[in-house]
Amino acid sequence: MSFFRVVRWVIWKDLICEIRGREMISSMFFFALIVILIFSFSFSMDQQMVKSLMGGIIWVAFVFTGIIGLGKSFLSETENDCLECLQMSPIPRTAIYVGKLVSNFFFMLIVEVILFPLFVIFFNLDVVDKIPILMIIFVLGSFGLSALGTLFSAMTVQIRAREVLLPVLLLPLAVPLIIGSVEATRGVLSTDPFSFYRHWMELVVIFDVVFTIVSFWVFEFIMDY
Amino acid sequence: MKAVQGFQISKGYHHFQVLREVSFEVEEGECFALFGPNGAGKTTLLKILSTLQRPTSGTFQMMGLDGVKDRDKVRNLFLLVGHGSYLYNELDALENMNFSLALRGISRTDQEVKKALDRVDIGPFARFKVRAFSEGMKKRLAMAKTILVHPKVLLLDEPYSALDESGMGLVNQFMKDITEQGTAILMTTHNRTKTAEVAHRAACLQQGVMKEIAVQELVEAHELF
Amino acid sequence: MIIGFFRRFEGWFGVSGALCVLTGLYLALVSSPPDYYQGEVVRIMYVHVPLAKTSLLAYTTLFFGSLWYLWKRDPMVDNMCRAAAGIGVLFTAGALITGSIWAKPTWNTWWTWDARLISFSILLLILMGYLMLRAFMDDKEKEARYAAVFAIVGFVDLPIVYFSVEWWRTLHQPASVSMRGLSLSAEIFFPLTIMAVGFLFLFIYLISVRTQMIYLEELLEAKQGSLLNKGGEVIKSA
Repeated sequence: MSFFRVVRWVIWKDLICEIRGREMISSMFFFALIVILIFSFSFSMDQQMVKSLMGGIIWVAFVFTGIIGLGKSFLSETENDCLECLQMSPIPRTAIYVGKLVSNFFFMLIVEVILFPLFVIFFNLDVVDKIPILMIIFVLGSFGLSALGTLFSAMTVQIRAREVLLPVLLLPLAVPLIIGSVEATRGVLSTDPFSFYRHWMELVVIFDVVFTIVSFWVFEFIMDY
Repeated sequence: MKAVQGFQISKGYHHFQVLREVSFEVEEGECFALFGPNGAGKTTLLKILSTLQRPTSGTFQMMGLDGVKDRDKVRNLFLLVGHGSYLYNELDALENMNFSLALRGISRTDQEVKKALDRVDIGPFARFKVRAFSEGMKKRLAMAKTILVHPKVLLLDEPYSALDESGMGLVNQFMKDITEQGTAILMTTHNRTKTAEVAHRAACLQQGVMKEIAVQELVEAHELF
Repeated sequence: MIIGFFRRFEGWFGVSGALCVLTGLYLALVSSPPDYYQGEVVRIMYVHVPLAKTSLLAYTTLFFGSLWYLWKRDPMVDNMCRAAAGIGVLFTAGALITGSIWAKPTWNTWWTWDARLISFSILLLILMGYLMLRAFMDDKEKEARYAAVFAIVGFVDLPIVYFSVEWWRTLHQPASVSMRGLSLSAEIFFPLTIMAVGFLFLFIYLISVRTQMIYLEELLEAKQGSLLNKGGEVIKSA
């Protein structure tokens, strides 16, 4: 079956299951809410500190929330041995990867879009004119996390300590992505000129491109012998 | 052209030899039953034939295609019905069927799918979420899938497990029907009496070695291994 | 066959490695001059630098071994990958610890957010993650395949990690402290080279021995498994 039809079916299946089950987005959302609350209690910050720390806080929340979602993305395939069924199907493995990547990315983005206004409210951020560029940064960062995380989720879902292993494997490798996203966000929030933080965004783009390609190639070996 | 042919399939990894030069053949429309003690390698053989694992040496063919080198093409030819039902709990029966068909590049009209569901007596439950189905109903859904896909080879891993008398009777009737339509069946099983009603040939796999036995022996012999 | 070659000569590697290291240590600790600025502490560089270089060598071995495994699926190559990861953890941890010991008297801090230190820490995390991944998997073939995939992805990532951390460090702490503070005079160069060569030989010896250890452990496990399984046959492949 053609590559893009398989991708569409995989995305359709993931979306429908999530809409009916609501397991992934609700867990992600409540976890992120708790993270935000804890941060707002832990640091009593003046406006200056907020500007310098906010980038980090936002991305800590996004990354850990993202990991929860990624962990769950292949979980539905382990029930009833569906993963085995996918492995036996005459479809390109990479189509499964792309389908899962798109749905993971989409769910992560939805949660971030819901969360960001809460950040603005809780921490009194002044962001009205910065929203477009912030959205771009969120999109780039979340895409890279999803690209690598989808690969590792497929790997770890079949293992005993899956909830622990996914962050253990993913986070060290995601360091460049996190650094780039945090610095770019911080630059935007501190109202730095674009030239100050554009190389961080370039770093994130490079990371995205490299690891989407690498994960795409390597996914074959996860889903087929 | 034989439906399935094994050529000295051996499987061993890290010093443990599970299968030893297993060779066999199954004609089209033939039902081949495989007995053997637990841990003898029956499931491993099925996993190799369903392209989930690679043989250490030797190979097999399905309808003349090499099962290792051409495994993508071979995946179009067979269906494995194992212990997992390969169903998604949040989708209903109809959606699950459509997804499974899409994974094989087959599209059938809703009417055809409904007809298949009716044939296995799940017609009225087509719109129910599979989460609510019993094990027996899930098995019947697998049979409906087989009807819709119409594979050349059907691989069955202990088809009688978890079924009552009427369920087993339904499975046997189903197997007779599809062998008449030309599908070859290779099944692993422990149930001698039920298998004797439907198998054309039988063999015993013990300590990695396959030995053919007469179907008569299934009924008469005191113990097979 | 390459592995067979190393196996035959491993004894030589082991002995010559030990000799080189001992000579190097003598030269380093006794006869070479103390650094003008850093005093006696600089001597630890003679251990730290080879440790760091060898740990990178270990990961490079792991990377190429993983590629080789995915291509040929030879179980012995997989054993070598596991050995390389284990040794890599040892040497990386050693590099970090010696680096920390050097940092304390020199900069009065146990830890500094230097690009190389951070990269080595991440290398350690990746290697430990690799071993954790293998420890938690039951299916042996899948384990080898998945571990190889992880090693390859990690290896591609490591240079990116290094550069991104380096950018980040220059942004937040201008380069006042640098681990490259050694001027390579001839008196320092010679012992350092001997130590490096010694460590290289030791690495080859260790990986050869460890690979065989893993092979024997697997064999033992299979024999135990076959006893439990009422006598399935055990083969001594490779």
